[in-house]
Amino acid sequence: MTATIVSPTPTKLPPSTHEFAEVIHRLEAGGAMLPDTPENLMQIIGLYKAYAVPMDFYWRDLLYIAEQVFLNPLPFFKYFISDEYLKLHNHYAGDDADLRIWRGEATAHPELLEFIEKGELKSKLPRLFHHWYHDRINMEFAEECMRAMLWHGRDMGMGQFDAYLDSEEYRQNADRAIKAYFKGNPLMLGLYKAFPEMFIEQVRQMSYYSNLGLFWEIMAPVFFEMSDLYDEGKIASVPDAMNFLVNGIFAISGRPIYHHVYIRGECYEIIPKSKGFMWLYEAALPYVEAVFYRTSPFRGTKSYNAQAGQVPAEQKDFHYGVLYADKFPVGTAGIPPTLLAQDMLHFLPPYLVEYYQHHCRGEDDMLIQLAVSFQRSMYCVTSAVIQALRTALLYPLDDPNPEHLMANRQFFEAQLDRFKRPEARLRNIQTQDYR
Amino acid sequence: MLSVLIWLPIAGAAVLGCLPQSVPTKQVRNGALAISGVVLLWSIWLFTQFDLTNPVFQFQEHLPWIETLGLDYDLALDGLSLVLVGLNSLLTWIAILSSSPRIERPRLFYSLILLVSGGVTGAFVAQNLLLFFLFYELELVPFYLLISIWGGAKRGYAAIKFLIYTAISGALILAGFLGLIWLSGAADFSYASALGQTLPLGLQVVLLTVLIIGFGIKIPLVPFHTWLPDTYVEASAPVTILLGGILAKLGTYGIFRFGLGLFPEAWAKLSPVLAIWAAVSILYGALAAIAQKDIKRMVAYSSIGHMGYILLGAAALTPLALVGSISQMVAHGLILAILFHLVGVIEQKVGSRELDVLNGLLNPIRGLPSISSLLILGAMASAGIPGLAGFIAEFLIFQGTYSIFPLQTLIAVVGTGLTAVYFVILLNRTCFGRLDNATAYYPRVEFEDRFPALILAGLIAFLGIQPSWLVKWSEATSTAMVAAVPTVEQIATVPDAAVPDATVPDATVPDATQLEVALPKEILLPAQTTP
Repeated sequence: MTATIVSPTPTKLPPSTHEFAEVIHRLEAGGAMLPDTPENLMQIIGLYKAYAVPMDFYWRDLLYIAEQVFLNPLPFFKYFISDEYLKLHNHYAGDDADLRIWRGEATAHPELLEFIEKGELKSKLPRLFHHWYHDRINMEFAEECMRAMLWHGRDMGMGQFDAYLDSEEYRQNADRAIKAYFKGNPLMLGLYKAFPEMFIEQVRQMSYYSNLGLFWEIMAPVFFEMSDLYDEGKIASVPDAMNFLVNGIFAISGRPIYHHVYIRGECYEIIPKSKGFMWLYEAALPYVEAVFYRTSPFRGTKSYNAQAGQVPAEQKDFHYGVLYADKFPVGTAGIPPTLLAQDMLHFLPPYLVEYYQHHCRGEDDMLIQLAVSFQRSMYCVTSAVIQALRTALLYPLDDPNPEHLMANRQFFEAQLDRFKRPEARLRNIQTQDYR
Repeated sequence: MLSVLIWLPIAGAAVLGCLPQSVPTKQVRNGALAISGVVLLWSIWLFTQFDLTNPVFQFQEHLPWIETLGLDYDLALDGLSLVLVGLNSLLTWIAILSSSPRIERPRLFYSLILLVSGGVTGAFVAQNLLLFFLFYELELVPFYLLISIWGGAKRGYAAIKFLIYTAISGALILAGFLGLIWLSGAADFSYASALGQTLPLGLQVVLLTVLIIGFGIKIPLVPFHTWLPDTYVEASAPVTILLGGILAKLGTYGIFRFGLGLFPEAWAKLSPVLAIWAAVSILYGALAAIAQKDIKRMVAYSSIGHMGYILLGAAALTPLALVGSISQMVAHGLILAILFHLVGVIEQKVGSRELDVLNGLLNPIRGLPSISSLLILGAMASAGIPGLAGFIAEFLIFQGTYSIFPLQTLIAVVGTGLTAVYFVILLNRTCFGRLDNATAYYPRVEFEDRFPALILAGLIAFLGIQPSWLVKWSEATSTAMVAAVPTVEQIATVPDAAVPDATVPDATVPDATQLEVALPKEILLPAQTTP
C-alpha cells in the first residue's frame, strides 16, 4: 500500500484554536511539523545520510549480538562485528533485495567500511587500538535505544511482541537456546538453574536487540535512498521527504520481526517468523514511542531528583526523547546523544559541513548543530508516522466530508497536545534561530 | 637598575601616546606588550641577582634632587619590594594581554597603563617618603581616566568615588609623613632618616593610625572599602586586574614599609586591635561576597576579605606570619588577576555577570569550558585549596598568627571556609547546570582569551607545589622586620622618650659589621651607607 499526501481543498473547517494551529494547518495541508524551507530540507536530508551510515553498522551489530554473541557472560568483543555480518545482505538494498528501497549495494556502506578500517585517525591500526581510542562507531547509543524499547515495552501497550516475551512458548524457546548455548558449561547451567529469571530476562533483551536491528535494517536504506534522491533533485521539499517516509512505512510495514539465535551452526528460533509480528506495529511504532518520545533522563544532562518529583512516577509520562531532548549538553561525557552525534559527525555530507561552518561556532560546535538538525529530521520522521497513522486509521486529507476532516483535526490536535510540554522542541524548530 | 623599571614604562607611555592615529590598535597593543615584556624580563633578571640571605636594601640608586625639600631620588629594594615589583611587572603585562585588541582609544589606554606601571614600581622602590608619595599619587589620575573612559555603565560615579577616596588616602599619608619628619626633626624625607626617629610612643600611635587609615583606604580595609565594589565592577577587566592585583598591594606595602617599618613599637601596641580589625574585614568580606548576585562584585568583596589575612599576618608580628602575609600579597595578586580576567571573558562572551542568568558554562561545546575550568581553579586557589598558591600563603599566616591571636586566627579560618561557600555558589550557578537554549549562542573563546589565564594558572599551581619560590624572597626581610620590633615587655619598660631605634642591631639580626664582612658596602642598610 502506498500513500501520497495530497493537498486538501481549502474548505470546510474553521481555523484551529490549538496552540500549534499553524502546525496543524500544515499537517492538514499534507505538510510536516517541520516548516517547508530549503534550509530545513537540506538539514534533514543531510542528517538522514549521516545517520544512515552508522545505522548500517548499528543494525548489523545488533543482529550480530542477538544472534551470535547472545548470552556470552563476558562480551568484550560484541562491538567487533564479524565479516559475515558486515557482508550480510540488507533485505532492502542490492540486487537480491526482497524489496529494493536503496539502489546501492546490499553489503555494508563503503564509507562505513572505510571508517571501520581506518577510523577518524585515517590510519590502519589494529581494530582494538581504534576501539580503545574511541575511534569507532558507538554502539552504546544503539543499545540505549534498545533498552528504552525494552524498558517501556511493557507499558506502551503496543502490538503483541512484548506480551509474547512473557508467554510460556517464549520461555520454552528461550530455555532451549540457553541450554544449547551453555552446553558443556556446568557453571553457567548451574547458575541458570539457580536464577532462571535472570537468564530469561537477558534473552528478552536479546530479542529487543534483534527487534531494533530488524527495524534499522529497513531505515538505513530508506535514508540512503532519500539522500540520493535529494542529490538528484528528486526530493525538493520537506513534504516530499515526509511522503517518501510514509510510502516507505506502508511498503515495508509487514516485514516480519523475529529473533533467531545461531549456536554451533544450528538456528534456534526464539521468536519464529511464523508468529507474524510485523515491522510497523512491533518495531516502528514502539520505537517511535520509546525513543522519540519517552526514553529516560540521560545522565549528564541535568540532575534529576526522583524523590522531589522531578522524574514522573509513571513511565508513560516520560518525555526525554529526541523530540524533547535538550541538545545543548551534547558533548558531555556519558550521554548517548553525544555518542550518536559523534558517529554522525564522521559521515556528514560536504554541503552540511559547509553550512555548519557558517553558523554559531562553526566546526567547534558542529556536534550540537548537527544534533539540533537531527532533532528537526526526527520531527519530520514523526510527522510521517502521524500522517501514516492518520492514513491507516482515519480519512484522506482531501475527504469531502467535514466530519471526517474534523476527526482528522482532532487526531492531529491530540498528537500535538504531546508537544505542549515546555521542554518540547516543536516551538524551537519552527525557526532557524534554534541551532 | 631599578630606574629602568620606572622610566622604561613611563617613556614607553610617552612614545605610545605620541603615535599617530593611523597606527592600528593591534600595533599599539603589541608595542605596549613589548615594553611591559621588557620590564617583566628586567624584573626577572633582578630576581636572579637578588641576594636572598641579605635582609637589607639592595640595588640602591641615589641622586640628589630638591635638597631644600629633603627630596632625593633614592631607590632600593628588599625582599618585600622585590616580590611586589615582580608582581607589578607581571600583572601589567597580563593586563595588557588581557585587553581587547579592538579597544577604543588604544594609545591613551596603553599609555595610562604603562604610566601606572612605572608609578607603582617607583612607589615600591622609593627610599624617600616624599618620592614614595609622588609615585603613589602618580597612579591616581591614570586610574581615574582608565575607569572613567573604559568603564561600565556607572563608570563616572565609580571613577569619582575612587578619586575622592584615593585623594583622601593620599592626604592622610602625606600628613603622616610630614608629621613624622617635622616632629622627629629629621633632616630630610629619606627612609633611613625616618627609621631613626625617636618619637614618644603616644605620638607614634597617632601617626601610625593616620598612616593605617591612609593605606587602609587603598587596600581597602573595612569600613573604608565602599569605593572598591563600585570601582572594581565598573572598571574594565584589565584595569580591574591592576586595581586588585597591584593597587591594593600598594596599600599593604605602605602598611608594612611605613607602618610596621617606621613605627614598630606603636605597631606592636596596636597589633591586637589590628588583628581584630583584620578578622572583622575577613568575615565582612566573605559574608558580603556570599550575598552578591554579580560575580564581579562577588570577587571584589572576596578581595576585601583576603586583604584581611595580610593585615592579620602583619599584626601577629612573627616571621612566619609576615612571610605568609607577603606571600599572600603575591598569591592574592595572581588569584585576583585570574579571577577578574576570567570574569571579564565571561562578561564579554555571555553579556552578563548575573548569577541568575549565567548557567552551564562548563558545557564542553556550547559553553566556555576552558574558561570555566580555569575559573574553578582560580576559585579553588582563592579558597585556599592545598596544592595552589593561596593555600601556602594562608597556611603560613594561620601558622604564624595562631600562637599570638588564636581567636582571630580561628575567625580567619572560618573566613576561608566562607570563601569556599561563596565560590561554590558562584561555580555551581555559573559553571554547572544547563545552558539556556534560548540564549546560549555565545561567541567562540579564542586562545588569546585563555592565554593570560593559562599563564596565571600555571604560576598559581607552580607556586602551590613549589612554595619556596613564593616565600624565599621575603624570608630574610620578614625576619629583620620582626626583629626590629620590641617585645611587649620591652615596650612596657622603655620610657616613651627612649624608644629603641629600629635600626639598632639586636641579638636576632645580623650585626652591620658582620654584614660588612660578607657584603659590599653599597647594599647595606641605607642609614649605614648613605652619606
